Amino acid sequence: MLELKDLHVEVEGEGIEILKGVNLKVKKGEIHAIMGPNGSGKSTLSKVVAGHPEYEVTKGDILFEGESILELDPDERAHKGVFLAFQYPVEVPGVTNNTLLRESYNTIAASMGREELDPLEFEDYIKDKLDLVQMDPEFLNRSVNTGFSGGEKKRNEIFQMAVLQPKLSLLDETDSGLDIDALKIVSNGINQLHGEDDAVVLITHYQRLLNYITPDYVHVMMGGKIVKSGEKELALELEEKGYDWLEDLATVNGEAK
Amino acid sequence: MAHPTKVEPSFLHRLAKHSPESENWAGIREQSLKDLNTTNFPHRKIEEWRFTDLKPFTRTDFVPLSEADTLPATDIEQYYIPESDRSRLVFINGTFQEKYSSIGGLGKGVTFGNLSDFADHDAVEEYLNKLVNYEEDVFVPFNGLMFEDGAFIHLEKGANAEAPIQVLNLYTDSKQAYIATPRMLVVAEEESDVTIIEDHIGLSENTYMTVPVCEVKAKQKAHIHHVRIQRDSRSALHVSRPIAYVEKNAEYHSYTITLGAKLSRNEPRVVQEDEEVDFTLDGLVLIDGDQIADTHSVMDHRFSHANSHQLHKVVVNGKAHSIFNGKIFVRRDAQKIDSFQENRNLLLSEDGLVNTKPQLEIFADDVLCSHGATIGQLDPEEVFYLQSRGMTEEKAKEVLTYAFALETIENMKVESVHQLLIDEVYRYTKANSVAKVTA
Repeated sequence: MLELKDLHVEVEGEGIEILKGVNLKVKKGEIHAIMGPNGSGKSTLSKVVAGHPEYEVTKGDILFEGESILELDPDERAHKGVFLAFQYPVEVPGVTNNTLLRESYNTIAASMGREELDPLEFEDYIKDKLDLVQMDPEFLNRSVNTGFSGGEKKRNEIFQMAVLQPKLSLLDETDSGLDIDALKIVSNGINQLHGEDDAVVLITHYQRLLNYITPDYVHVMMGGKIVKSGEKELALELEEKGYDWLEDLATVNGEAK
Repeated sequence: MAHPTKVEPSFLHRLAKHSPESENWAGIREQSLKDLNTTNFPHRKIEEWRFTDLKPFTRTDFVPLSEADTLPATDIEQYYIPESDRSRLVFINGTFQEKYSSIGGLGKGVTFGNLSDFADHDAVEEYLNKLVNYEEDVFVPFNGLMFEDGAFIHLEKGANAEAPIQVLNLYTDSKQAYIATPRMLVVAEEESDVTIIEDHIGLSENTYMTVPVCEVKAKQKAHIHHVRIQRDSRSALHVSRPIAYVEKNAEYHSYTITLGAKLSRNEPRVVQEDEEVDFTLDGLVLIDGDQIADTHSVMDHRFSHANSHQLHKVVVNGKAHSIFNGKIFVRRDAQKIDSFQENRNLLLSEDGLVNTKPQLEIFADDVLCSHGATIGQLDPEEVFYLQSRGMTEEKAKEVLTYAFALETIENMKVESVHQLLIDEVYRYTKANSVAKVTA
């Protein structure tokens, strides 16, 4: 579904390379976890795939369902089924959750050839999505993320994921700032949403989230590269040993695994 | 008033020679003539006019309204608000239109109509031209020399206007540039309550100048909600002087929406006359192209215990230019004042310009005055967020601009006006959503 080929990325106009040749393959039905210390480039990776204009791909390619999406705007990528749950969801006063979601749902539905929903149909459609993340229906009438607590914002992101049904979900530090109950709700939501036909990439600093969501693969990013990949046991190893023992790998000028 | 040593006659001084004689307003004419003849037309060397150049208009060949071939107004019903079907005053180029107006009444104690029909009314004799107080000003005396009709709104003690009163000022097309001088007096006696929707609409794209003068008196425990919408022609000059006096326990809340005119200069003032008052002086400015919108406001706290609120929001696109100077005076004995002022500017284009100057002059020591001014562009992070949810870049910018502007119109009590303003904001943001976002 997603393939990153030797991806090099700079901050637009600043010439500082943040991703230094990332290779990654994510197949349908898989969950991948990307872990790494702060500043390793893992958040950048998710933003670049979603098409953030601040970053410039200087080399390599991003393939989504076999086609390069490098030239596509963020909305066009969303239309193809790419979804990014933000580490810091943005507040949009004056626009209700309901308005944003219906607008989003229908634009994406139209481009994917799904049926668009009128306000009443949409109301029915999102009812059980609310239950999934245990959100009060009152949330729908509130301005997007405005005055939400950190945990509410994160739950709102997963709620959006539930409504929009993306093919590829990039979840950027969705676990940060959540207490244990909220973490359980969010993880449970992600587990229920994930199926045979979609893929999930979890960006996380801590292993904690992986107690609730079992990844098929774990990758460690350091210094703008994936320095080690393994299965779920790797996460436990990282929990135990930290990242220091991998530092040598990050500095070796070879092909990362 | 300090008299300048020598007064240079301007086009206004020349046009004022065509002042129509008035039996009703003879005293005002006399006073106005004296004031005008001792005051110079403003220019950019005066601090208060530093950023606003009136030259394009001083070079315009204005004629007196009586000599302009103005075209008739058509389809004006579209501007009526349904809530005011029994309480509407219509003026065309400043002249009262009985056939379009609806003065059927709002019940006991609520009087409204054409000022010139109420020249003998106690409130008119007591307050007309007495409340208006602008230093070194040519525009108020000019209005005083030219007006005959005007809106008069009076509420007796305890009267409650059950519907909003709409004051509709329409400006018609004309080959010649003319000057209109709308006038308004609102007197709300003790414990009365009224909502006023004042609308200025240019029916075409012609050049004209309008100089509305509005005097408001809110007596003890009176409540006045005053919405002012400026939708003048994009070639027009709009210079307005609305001033409100607020007595003990009274409230005056005003919301000015600036959308039209090539150049507008709005100088709202609120004067506190006793303790325990509450007032609002909010504004929303949406401009583009080569528009200039200038707001010079004064909130004058003269006694203790006042709550005042001023949120002035501005969206600038194209080569438009916004100027804001918000003066807050807190006099020496005015303790326990809670005053809030914020000017937020959203700049959508690289060529747009914003000048902002909060000006606090506080002589009391136990006051809470918060103020702030920001000038910013759309946040690229916010645009990206909405894009990642499937909105196009244009749509995302439109939504964010809309959201920015919306805050100031949330407090509209009259539903149709609320909807009208939402539509206006939407129309503006849609027309301007192609603006470039710079990171």
